Amino acid sequence: MMPQARRRLNRTVIFLALVVVAVLMLFPFVFMILIANQSYDQYLAGSGFSLDSWRQLFAALPVLQELLNSSIVTGGAVLIILVVSSMGGFAFAKLGYPGGSVVFLLLLAGMMVPVQSIVIPEFVNISQVGLINQYPGAILVYAALGAPFATYLMTTYYRGIPTELMEASLMDGASYPQIFVRVMLPLSVPAIVTITVLQFIQIWDDLLIGLLFLQTPETRTITVGLATLQSGRMVNIPVLMAGSLASALPAIIVYLIFQRHLVRGLTMGIGK
Amino acid sequence: MTGSSQAVPSATRAPRRGRSHLGGSRRRAGFLFCLPVILLEAGLLGLPIVQTFYYSFTDWNGLTSSWVGLNNYSQLFGDSTFWQVLGNNALLLASIPIAIVIPLAIAFLLNEHVAGWRFFRSVYFLPTAISWVVIGLVAIRFFAAEGILNGVLKTVGLGGIQTDLLSSEAGAMAAVIITFIWSVFGTNTIIFITGMATMDREVYEAAHVDGAGAWTTLLHVTLPMLQRFIQFAFILTLVTAFTALFSLIFVMTSGGPGFGTTTLEFFVYEKAFNTGAFGLAAAIGVVLFVVVFAISITQLRLFRSRVD
Repeated sequence: MMPQARRRLNRTVIFLALVVVAVLMLFPFVFMILIANQSYDQYLAGSGFSLDSWRQLFAALPVLQELLNSSIVTGGAVLIILVVSSMGGFAFAKLGYPGGSVVFLLLLAGMMVPVQSIVIPEFVNISQVGLINQYPGAILVYAALGAPFATYLMTTYYRGIPTELMEASLMDGASYPQIFVRVMLPLSVPAIVTITVLQFIQIWDDLLIGLLFLQTPETRTITVGLATLQSGRMVNIPVLMAGSLASALPAIIVYLIFQRHLVRGLTMGIGK
Repeated sequence: MTGSSQAVPSATRAPRRGRSHLGGSRRRAGFLFCLPVILLEAGLLGLPIVQTFYYSFTDWNGLTSSWVGLNNYSQLFGDSTFWQVLGNNALLLASIPIAIVIPLAIAFLLNEHVAGWRFFRSVYFLPTAISWVVIGLVAIRFFAAEGILNGVLKTVGLGGIQTDLLSSEAGAMAAVIITFIWSVFGTNTIIFITGMATMDREVYEAAHVDGAGAWTTLLHVTLPMLQRFIQFAFILTLVTAFTALFSLIFVMTSGGPGFGTTTLEFFVYEKAFNTGAFGLAAAIGVVLFVVVFAISITQLRLFRSRVD
């Protein structure tokens, strides 16, 4: 009887500790939601509910346009990443060619390059081809930054698919592009979902590339729009919080639906 | 995933069958399928890397450049600001053990699978979804002179230790580091939970049968088995600290006060886009590149020697 009582006490203590941590982790979200739904006066008074800050936010920022810009840029980059990484992953895992493993190692090395180390020449190059403040410029840069890790994940995934499947299709007279589209791609849907979720959140939340490559209000992403609100020394905190919520919501929704895939992406990185 | 624990080396394990005409077409297909990713990375990652190295030896202003040899580097190493910035990176590095130990402890608790542990896991991982910009905006309200932290301190009768953290160099750096530790908490916890899930229950039972107590089991069974995961979390956290905090710093402190919260990555931006010294900024970029690369290579070697 005694050990059991002690065990129950232990588990209660653990539960309480986990609750405390949960409160600490949820705090910013609760703060954002509460404050965003107050007017400035209510915020100063410390209580109340109003949609006034949302109205002010939409007046101060072209929120819908910026959400659209973020969607275009994120969607375009994720699409390119998926195409090149699934093709490349298939080739590295199942086809191979002379020098292929060197190329693969170079790609792995590419995962380790800090963006800040290359961003200046990148900026100059993109501006020389006239793609600053154009969606394709930012899309291409995001795609190039995300593709190495995505290709690594796809290669890892395709290695786990039996080669016999490919050989059987070859015997049936299928070409490699046909095998890729009809056999390999359908089998790799879980990896594709993982990459989509990881890259979506990463690109949607990014500031630096957006800040440099999409500077005009017409092309600016929501994350950059929010950062410039702050640097404009906007001190209306409820409006800032409304903006934070608007920018965070799409990524939070993606997270809530696909969190299992995010965890898998992380653990695939460990190679487990 | 299946059999991929040795994923890092040796890219190609393509089938080797005798039909060489098929082998030729397979290799051709292999090359063509790789071409898109090769072109993308060569143009937008490989080229700027080469340029960064080249321009770090010039007085580049974005348009014209002339060769100055090691001038940028000697200017950099002679600049006291650079050493202050490097010191800030060292502070980040020193904070990483805290960013590892707290999640490790909480992962142990989560692994007891008390009521609602799945819910807690989801909540802890939630900050992964939000941007550093949003995190920074909330963090300012938290640490500000009239902010939440000081409000809480006052409420609980500790008004005497209220401080305006963001107004001093050391205080602002502390605020950035605390925010950083909070942000990576969820990711590291998930990594450790995953590690613990891969462990065999029988090992625990064997330890228990042998009379090992909770502490002995922790020190001699659990931690050694988690070593790979701890290394992975360490490297991931370090790379985040050195290369992903730009947005947080941009929003929270803009690198200040003074250069109090400027790290190498922020210094690159600051030199290039605020002072127009692109060549010097490229040299800082090279330093950052070398630091991150050295760390990553060390990690890969550690990994490989563990796995084999």
